Amino acid sequence: MATKTETVADDYKEKYGFSDSTADYVVRGTRGLNEDVVKEISRLRDEPVWMEELRLKALRHFLSMRTPSWAPELGLIDYQSFYYYARSTAKSADSWDQVPEYIKKTYDKLGVTEAEQKFLSGVGAIYESDSVYHSIQKELEKQGVVFTDTVTAMKEYPDIMKKYFGTVVPYNDNFIAALQTAVWSAGSFVLVPEGVKVQMPLQAYFRINAKNMGQFERTLIIAEPHSEVNYIEGCLPADELVSKGYTLEPILAIDTREDVVAESGKIASVTKKFIHPYEGVMLTIVPQSRGNSFRLTPEHPVLAIKRSTVAIRKSRNGWLPEASTAKLLAAIPEYVDAGQLAVGDFLVYVVPTEVSDNSSFTETTLRILGLYLAEGSISFNKRLNLDVLAFSFGKSRKEKELAYELRDLIRSLGEKASVSRSRGTYYTVVTYSKKLIDLCATHCGIGAATKALSEVFMQLPTEKQMVLLVNYLKGDGNRYLKTHDSLMVRASTASRTLAFQIQEVLARSRIFANFSVRKGSKDKIKGREITRKDQYIIQYTESPRWSEVRSRGNHFFVPIKRIDRQDFKDLVYNLEVERENSYLVKGFAVHNCTAPVYSSQSLHSAIVEMIAKKGSLIKYTTLQNWSKDVLNLVTKRAHAHEDATVSWVDFNGGSKLTRKYPSVYLLGPRAKADIISVAYAGSGQTQDTGGKAIHLAPDTTSKIISRSVSKDGGHTAYRGLLHIAKGARNAKSTVRCDALLLDDRSTTATYPYMEIQEDDATVTHEASVGKVGEDQLFYLMSRGLSEGDALSMVVNGFMEPFAKELPMTYAVELNRLLALEMTNSVG
Amino acid sequence: MKLEIKDLHVSIDGKEILKGVDLTVNQGEIHALMGPNGSGKSTLAYTLLGHPKYQVTKGDILLDGESILKVAPDKRARKGLFLAFQYPVAVQGVTMFSFLRAAYNASHTTNPKEPPTIFDFREAVAEKLKLLQMDESFLNRYLNEGFSGGEKKRAEILQMAIMDPKFAVLDETDSGLDIDALRIVAEGVTKLSGPNLGVLLITHYQRILKYVKPQFVHVLYEGKVLASGGEELSRKLEEQGYGWIKGYTPEPTDTEELAQKPAQSI
Repeated sequence: MATKTETVADDYKEKYGFSDSTADYVVRGTRGLNEDVVKEISRLRDEPVWMEELRLKALRHFLSMRTPSWAPELGLIDYQSFYYYARSTAKSADSWDQVPEYIKKTYDKLGVTEAEQKFLSGVGAIYESDSVYHSIQKELEKQGVVFTDTVTAMKEYPDIMKKYFGTVVPYNDNFIAALQTAVWSAGSFVLVPEGVKVQMPLQAYFRINAKNMGQFERTLIIAEPHSEVNYIEGCLPADELVSKGYTLEPILAIDTREDVVAESGKIASVTKKFIHPYEGVMLTIVPQSRGNSFRLTPEHPVLAIKRSTVAIRKSRNGWLPEASTAKLLAAIPEYVDAGQLAVGDFLVYVVPTEVSDNSSFTETTLRILGLYLAEGSISFNKRLNLDVLAFSFGKSRKEKELAYELRDLIRSLGEKASVSRSRGTYYTVVTYSKKLIDLCATHCGIGAATKALSEVFMQLPTEKQMVLLVNYLKGDGNRYLKTHDSLMVRASTASRTLAFQIQEVLARSRIFANFSVRKGSKDKIKGREITRKDQYIIQYTESPRWSEVRSRGNHFFVPIKRIDRQDFKDLVYNLEVERENSYLVKGFAVHNCTAPVYSSQSLHSAIVEMIAKKGSLIKYTTLQNWSKDVLNLVTKRAHAHEDATVSWVDFNGGSKLTRKYPSVYLLGPRAKADIISVAYAGSGQTQDTGGKAIHLAPDTTSKIISRSVSKDGGHTAYRGLLHIAKGARNAKSTVRCDALLLDDRSTTATYPYMEIQEDDATVTHEASVGKVGEDQLFYLMSRGLSEGDALSMVVNGFMEPFAKELPMTYAVELNRLLALEMTNSVG
Repeated sequence: MKLEIKDLHVSIDGKEILKGVDLTVNQGEIHALMGPNGSGKSTLAYTLLGHPKYQVTKGDILLDGESILKVAPDKRARKGLFLAFQYPVAVQGVTMFSFLRAAYNASHTTNPKEPPTIFDFREAVAEKLKLLQMDESFLNRYLNEGFSGGEKKRAEILQMAIMDPKFAVLDETDSGLDIDALRIVAEGVTKLSGPNLGVLLITHYQRILKYVKPQFVHVLYEGKVLASGGEELSRKLEEQGYGWIKGYTPEPTDTEELAQKPAQSI
């Protein structure tokens, strides 16, 4: 899906991929945290004085606090390194038309426009720190429902904001709340009037975009008496969009447990396969042998030697600096991001080292195979009802000799063969020998474009391989003398695979052959229309004087001739290879999967305050999958007054670390809390989640359900608090937390806290840790499900109590997300 | 098409359980494999489907002439091999219906045709349910969770009916069933059998053979097939026990399946 191609020099600064350049932000803000930054944030928003004062109070409190002992990672964050404020447009937009084009592009990538169509106009999306697009569904307006961004609310509803802001989560509540209150930047405000039931889920899509941009959104939801609201926030799998990998057709077909050749030339097995949709820059690296050009994303490390490290002279007159052979042969190749490669740098072509002899090949059979590869074909003769093996030679005397030599070779094996002159002039050798037909088909394949050498042959000792190759070149090749007496050998084939294999066979004999592709075309011969197939032309010279390619051990150092950049949008693939951590792309060594996403940590810290007044109902659903370098520290808290119900439904998939314990303060009699917290932790991730229910009034009930899944060394923790205060008589509470571990490297922990000060409370607490056993997987696999599908079935089943709370679209999204985690291990 | 077991040696954790089993099942044939506890019957069943715990140290398993030793369990299933488990595994949160559908779609991927719609598939499943005298509400329950012994075994045969395998290995499908359930299950198997299905019926007892008529009976004893014959062999076993095979009555202890669960009394 390339749309443009351009050749680039070795240095380009432009950012690629999903991140839109931060230069596009109207106001960037300055890095760091101090009173001036906080005042600037407040000034830019035209905030009332009380808000600025609250921010400053919170900042002073934050700076005076010590990091809490239970969250050691908070002490490791350099709070001065963040940009606390970035504003993408000067004004919030009311309609889609007003949204700037580059932001729309980002939304397109997120699929928000589609969501908009689906969910009509109930969209409040946060791009970076500001809400830029905010359309309120007309019916909501008619019902008197207020749904706007927090900044606007501060201007339009100053009294309500002043009355409620920070009452559920006070600025001095905790370390992160203090920071958040000081620097909060955007968010949503929802006010549902008395008796109104809001049926439509409100959507908020957001993702962290710019590198190092802390995102501090602040949400306030107020449900007046007897009203109902169902709020859903979602974050599309950001990992999918920012992740990287590399692409090459055959990788599609490689499955885990299959073998590949690694940098060392040894065989190693693929332990994992990664598949990502990727949109961004795709590089095409064109080495001296053009046929070996390969594509990968700029972040993919490639084994290389930079020319600058082996150069002996500076670049002059536009020529590349001259490389020293001695320096090159002494250089140690290193993995360099493909984006850092430049024309003239040396790639490493790796010669596989596995050799295993096979006595079934004799000099005679190898010679026959070589000629078959060049001139042979197998066809079925209907009249004879027989397979026929035919070799077509030209009409020269040399070809005639070759034909008779071949006939005698076949006869020496005790098989029948004859030479005929079909169409008058061309010499053809024909045999019906089943033995030979089998041999040729097995080791060389059938059909000009699909001929390929067998695995057995490719591992033969080089002397044997060369017997075949020499005979192959007798047929398809030609050799001619170039100036300075260097002998040039050239051959062409219609089979791409064969071209690579011949290159490898030559490489095993320490000859580096270049190959190029001549594109197929239509042509006319004697008035007859013909279609030429792509031809792969292999050539090499036996004296390497005129080539820059040098070899050491089983490595050839091959210079890059050109690097092309293209826009790309499709799936990309990567492999994880056991022990070796590398594999070969078109013969060249590249590193296996690498740590994706941004290297520096991003911080996301949100506060959601909800007030459910008498008899009202609020349900807040979150489906989050932050990119895996994000620290996600969120305070979610609700007040539930008399007869009110608050329900938190929370899924945490992405992020490096999530700390989130949605809580409900049951303030009035018969208030209810429902908390469902579900988490998935993969490699390098910690999901520290749970829920809190604080019973402060009689006849209140709470239910906390936690489900967590860990895989590939991920860590989950349930941290929960159940508090039943003196006077909260006849309270009921159920806490249930289950953890599922998918392998031995993954871990989970449970920290339930209970403070019960009334005797008549009914409390149940259940916890379990389960493992997906070999037997469970085997059972599902015995029904035809792949290992990945079997795992995701088990995990989806485990998550079912959460999934059934979700609207259909989200449930589907969750399934897809989990399936991706199970089968391909995102990131 | 045939399923060939050649000189099969299998070990678990270094302990050799199967010591050279030879057996060939052709499509369309029903074979009964009998043997006392600990003779290696379940080991053979698991090995045929490729359970990773069971290591083949020697010999081969050929399906349609091709070795499947290196083929993963899911791919064996897609090649048409089916195992009805002695102890089916429960999976919470996964309904019987969605499981059957996933299994069907996975095992019929070789066909380029689109998977059936939910409604078509549900209809097809309803038909098979009738065959096993099961209620449709069964489909909404979680896979094997809280199933009685008989329900589990019926569910296995239901899966077999949906997956439509070329070879089915039934591992003690008769154990733990009361006489009515046994009859229903056995009739189900009989109805599914035909020229396109080869059955290897593994059983400890002879009673299921009243309902399912095998053409061949084999006796597995201490990891080897010691006797093969027709139906008369099973009658002899019933009359004389396994003892006559080696003049020895083995004690029913110490097998891996017993270690998992106590033997069901009948």
